Amino acid sequence: MGLSAYLALAAVIFSIGLFGVMTRRNAVGILLGIELMLNAVNINLVAFSRFHGDVTGMVLTVFAICITVAEVALGLAIVILLFRTRRTAMADHVDWLKG
Amino acid sequence: MDPSWPLVIEGWLFALVLVIFVLGLFRRQAGDAVAGWVTLAGLVGLSIAVWNAEPGRVALEGTFVLDELSLFGKRLFMVASVLSVLATQAMTHASFRRRGTEYYVAFLASLLGMLVLASARDLIVLFVAFELMSIPLYFLTGFLKGEKAAPEGAMKFFLVGSISSAVVLYGLSFVYGAAGTTDMSAIPALMATVNPLVLLGLALMLGGLGFKIAAVPFHMWVPDTYEAANTPFVAWISIAPKTAGFLAIFRLYVEGVGEGAVLWVPIVSVLAGVTIVSGNLMAIPQSNIKRLLAYSGVAHIGYLLLGLAAMSVSGVGMVLFYLVAYLFGNMGAFFVVQAVAASEGSDEIEKYQGLARRSPVLALSLLLFLLSLGGIPFMAGFWAKLFIFWAVVEQGMYWLAFLGAVLTVVALYYYLVVARRMYIEASTNPAPIPVPVVLMVAIGGCVAGILLMGVYPEPWARAFMRVAMTLFSTS
Repeated sequence: MGLSAYLALAAVIFSIGLFGVMTRRNAVGILLGIELMLNAVNINLVAFSRFHGDVTGMVLTVFAICITVAEVALGLAIVILLFRTRRTAMADHVDWLKG
Repeated sequence: MDPSWPLVIEGWLFALVLVIFVLGLFRRQAGDAVAGWVTLAGLVGLSIAVWNAEPGRVALEGTFVLDELSLFGKRLFMVASVLSVLATQAMTHASFRRRGTEYYVAFLASLLGMLVLASARDLIVLFVAFELMSIPLYFLTGFLKGEKAAPEGAMKFFLVGSISSAVVLYGLSFVYGAAGTTDMSAIPALMATVNPLVLLGLALMLGGLGFKIAAVPFHMWVPDTYEAANTPFVAWISIAPKTAGFLAIFRLYVEGVGEGAVLWVPIVSVLAGVTIVSGNLMAIPQSNIKRLLAYSGVAHIGYLLLGLAAMSVSGVGMVLFYLVAYLFGNMGAFFVVQAVAASEGSDEIEKYQGLARRSPVLALSLLLFLLSLGGIPFMAGFWAKLFIFWAVVEQGMYWLAFLGAVLTVVALYYYLVVARRMYIEASTNPAPIPVPVVLMVAIGGCVAGILLMGVYPEPWARAFMRVAMTLFSTS
């Protein structure tokens, strides 16, 4: 399989993630979408790294995974905070999605 | 240690983060201002070090540089942070003071990210620094979790911020794929050959960075975040992360690219035009002053992009001038808003009725800040706008300069609506507004900044042009 197959896979996953982010109304669902987008990036990076025979891309992937974990942990904390004050995890009031 | 060595300043800042963290462990629930004073003292010491640093050294095999542009960024971040911490010291309510050390640890961690970002010449360093800067910002937005709007503002900022990070990273992966290295000095050569992967990657990254600097149509998080977060922090995020975004843009799209940078002119000029028009128009109907400043801030990002669209030495130099002018004008305005909100309990513009009679000095400072933001002669903002238009006209983009000039009049209108409330309308409550000393110092610093830049723009402009020159000379 050539490089383009991996890139296509990553593009599809990225698009699914973006679609999820745009259409999901539950904040946890949006977080899952973001997670998918970032994992698509990781596929991209690893594929490029493999085809260049250069490990830098894999190093970047490890950084990306660590940072994603930190980011999502903070995101979940904010969702819990929102849930405590509003009793909802629905992003109904997040009107930028409609704008 | 000599601050001219790369990573020395960052190392000391990291030590300061640890000091505040340990302070928090031993002084749990102390509820006083000690953490703030320690932070302030540390930042003032670091500022002196940054001012004494000499550009020119490189570390970590060229991935971390201490050049003119990074020193400009570091100095700006330091000034903004010192002003913001000063104003934060005026926040005396118990719910904030009790967790003060947490606030400062996150604040300084974000600042550390900005300092590293200013020096990054490698995609990995750039990405990690960007995230180190952004993640604490989400936390800080929701810091006053007792307030009704804070979690919502934090949520919106977080979602938009992390989506934009994902888009930036996706673009970055393509740039890496085309270059086969994460060294940013490989980008100009690829841009010259019009490599489709690089163009796709850089276009995606521009979109993601557009979110960070809040250009239209990526600005939706700004008003909500500004309204929800505490004011000294808002004053800070209205300038520091935006500057960081512009530094990243300069590094990726301008530095060493030379003539090839013209490729981005159409995209950036459309982005600039749309941002100026919609930012200014959306500011008009606002009744909350923080939202008004948020939308006017979006418009100012448009003017900054206008300077970038010129893609010339004078364009970039004047963007730097504008950033500093905007720092003083905008942060000052937010500090006055903070003082009024602390006494009136609201950010509504009606609360400014008769402010000139109640607190003449406060009203005069806000008037000066608004006039500077609006671009009235002999204020910093006037020269900033004039120089930007000049740079744009130099490149023959007359319609962009014309558009910017027309929308400046619209901006003056909504700034003067606030001024009219302060100076012409009578107040219902004659009591003067109490201003804490620390806040007075911060406001005074901003007034001094806009007046100094307004009366003597030349040395500043010359210094910024020199910085801009280094970006173009490497090609």
